[in-house]
Amino acid sequence: MSKRKVAIIASGGGLDSAYKVLNIATAAAATEAEVAIFFTFEALAIIHKDAATMLTMGPGKEHYVEGFKRANVPSISELLEVARETGVKMIACQMTMDVTGMTKEMFVDGVEVGGAVTFLDFAYDADVTVTF
Amino acid sequence: MSTQHVDKSIDCKGLSCPMPIVRTKKAVDEMQPGQVLEVLATDPGSVADMKSWADRTGHQFVGTEEEGGTFKHYIRKADANEVKAEQKHPHTISNEDLQAKLGTTPVILDVREPMEYHFGHIPGAQLVAFGQLEERLAELADLKDQEIHIVCRTGNRSDMACQLLAEKGFSHVKNVVPGMSQWTGPVEK
Repeated sequence: MSKRKVAIIASGGGLDSAYKVLNIATAAAATEAEVAIFFTFEALAIIHKDAATMLTMGPGKEHYVEGFKRANVPSISELLEVARETGVKMIACQMTMDVTGMTKEMFVDGVEVGGAVTFLDFAYDADVTVTF
Repeated sequence: MSTQHVDKSIDCKGLSCPMPIVRTKKAVDEMQPGQVLEVLATDPGSVADMKSWADRTGHQFVGTEEEGGTFKHYIRKADANEVKAEQKHPHTISNEDLQAKLGTTPVILDVREPMEYHFGHIPGAQLVAFGQLEERLAELADLKDQEIHIVCRTGNRSDMACQLLAEKGFSHVKNVVPGMSQWTGPVEK
């Protein structure tokens, strides 16, 4: 029996983008969907080992940080862990890596590197596609 | 819920979305069919989410009770064969069986995109892209009581198309599985 497929494109690198992407991804995976995320441009910060220091809220949105704490929102690393455990496919954009000089070793475990076609291969049959 | 025997209880109090759902999924995976899970949560969003989650995964949402700001959600794990059973169109035909019937000019609707159809389709198949199916129903009205074979690339879009047509009163629709990705019969361009 084939599963629902959710394809997510992440291009924004703020802390808010990270939450949008990972909340949808982990909720979808928990609902037994197959999920793939294509991380490109600034969004590579989300899967970077130094995400905790790289991801910030943009100007004027600092109040969220306090809100996140108050609402006991899980940390990005916790969500990444859940994503990996539940089989979310995380693809880092090769082109952006070349442009910024990033290497696969800079990313958390479970990330694979691919081009746009690697993601599209999955996305063609997706039931839901979201862009952040 | 004193009237209900609970097999397992998980504490998601203080956790925000999506953690109650993530934990629920994990807990249900470790349980036996028929067992009941209790989820304690304080996230008000969990009330709607828990129900949607159960509907989507095919497990039974028994109900929610609130007590002093804590929600108690009850989920009954479904049997493997009752999970998702209602989400699939029940009538299918294999690629091979359809190929064997080609001599009798069966009605075949190809619900892929025009470009996919252009690069190769089953001889005699009619193109009705899934996105246009609903608005083109009137053209198909003559086929209502005929046997219709619906094909796409892997069987997903055609499954949705079958469900749509069945809902609109088409009585003999069959999903061709797995579809064109594995089709070894004749192809027309």
